Amino acid sequence: MTTATGTVPPPAEYAAPRTPGEALALLADRRATGALYGPLGTLHLVDGEVVGAESPRAPGLADLLTGCGRITPEHWSELVHVHGPRARVGEVLVERRLITRGELELGHLGTLFDAAFFVLADHGGGFWRFESDTRHWLGPVATVDPERLCREVERRRRLLDRIWPWAQLDTAPVRPVEHSRRPSHRPPGRRRRELLDHADGRRTPADLARLLGRSGFGVTADVRRLAAAGLLDAPSATVPSTTLPSSAVPSATEPPVAASQAAVPPPVARAAAAGRTLGGLHRRIPGASLRGAAQSGAVIVGTVQVGPVVAAPAAAARAAAPGPAVPGPVAPGPAAGTSARPERQPTPAAAHPLTVPDPDIALLTRVRDLLEARL
Amino acid sequence: MPGIDECLSGAMAIAGARAASLVDWGSGLALGSLGDGPTGEHETSAAEATDLVRAAVESQTFTAAEDRRSPLEDIIVTAGRSYHLIRFIDTVFDSRLVLHLWLDRAEGNLAAARFRLQALAEELVLG
Repeated sequence: MTTATGTVPPPAEYAAPRTPGEALALLADRRATGALYGPLGTLHLVDGEVVGAESPRAPGLADLLTGCGRITPEHWSELVHVHGPRARVGEVLVERRLITRGELELGHLGTLFDAAFFVLADHGGGFWRFESDTRHWLGPVATVDPERLCREVERRRRLLDRIWPWAQLDTAPVRPVEHSRRPSHRPPGRRRRELLDHADGRRTPADLARLLGRSGFGVTADVRRLAAAGLLDAPSATVPSTTLPSSAVPSATEPPVAASQAAVPPPVARAAAAGRTLGGLHRRIPGASLRGAAQSGAVIVGTVQVGPVVAAPAAAARAAAPGPAVPGPVAPGPAAGTSARPERQPTPAAAHPLTVPDPDIALLTRVRDLLEARL
Repeated sequence: MPGIDECLSGAMAIAGARAASLVDWGSGLALGSLGDGPTGEHETSAAEATDLVRAAVESQTFTAAEDRRSPLEDIIVTAGRSYHLIRFIDTVFDSRLVLHLWLDRAEGNLAAARFRLQALAEELVLG
């Protein structure tokens, strides 16, 4: 495997990248081969193209294939153990007809974009490290242009904020609100109903994604949709450190998030949530979330926190064993701008006055009137 | 054994095909595209096709009486000069994928294209 990093001058001669996207662009320019470790996961590059991504927030190919029963976890470990060091796992999966070429490509690209979103959308700062000449155990399947990847990450971030601009939901344990169990308030779509049924107040969106074998972004988006519909919320006193399962990648972003997590949603929103009337719960006023999105635009500009991004093709990294990427010790760098994020729960759409008389309310009113008439 | 590229080439070989995309409607991402899309940008088309797909999948009317696992097979939009065929792809692991074919109405044959697209969607996952 060739790499351009060996001939590149030390990074001190370059302007230090200020965002994960800039670090990735720099590595792409150098046609680098190796692994970029960030607080929320890893990107694998070959000749400047992204060939794989992993994040504790997103189920990987192994989770998908073992979760659906196509391959047993034991069989999978054996495959990675035997064929990982030579980066042939993908090839062997297809050769042995465990999965088809199409399934491998679909699963690989889906999980790559999914994990890359969490790795690159993280603007919480923290320590980034590049290790050259490592090889991913899966082997060559499909590559993604880093610029396209960054565009997609940005698109997804905007999409989430258009759905419901409350980023804390993405890392907090979520639970259904009481009335969501009533048949009349069941959300549309099998996937969202299942999600609601498995949200127990302890599982975060990442836990739910792994449990249900779904993409991390898909679950994150559905959780925000359910919250926007007033069917799901996150208890305010949540501890986000549980969001990262036993991961080898330490996160320097946790403390600021933890600090902000304690922030209680504004009284207006809470009062509105408590005082919601029946029937209006899953209704949304057209444009309600757009108003919220406009607010969040200002919020996000104010919260871009950039930590030290270090792209160092260190000679010491060469000693790292190829095969399953094992991150070395990563110094949890001081996250710049660790002030609490001023993100807050947007006012639920249901808190807006209904523009159309609600049939449920009309019915309840009639029942009440009848009962009162009989007193 | 076909991969994504072969699947899309096969779709473009259908008579009257103008563009073909493999779209993840969970996120709105085009995993692959060929031809000149209706909006000029495959990424835009994928995001907009996603909205249509989600509306159909999440509606009671179209899905309540159907098989729970894969309630919809395809969505066909008939426009004045073209058809849009959106074929759901059923994978063994959880995914939300469709094959979107933009077909010229004068040059293409809707029934034949629909059968071919079904075969391509199945070959992609079954080999």
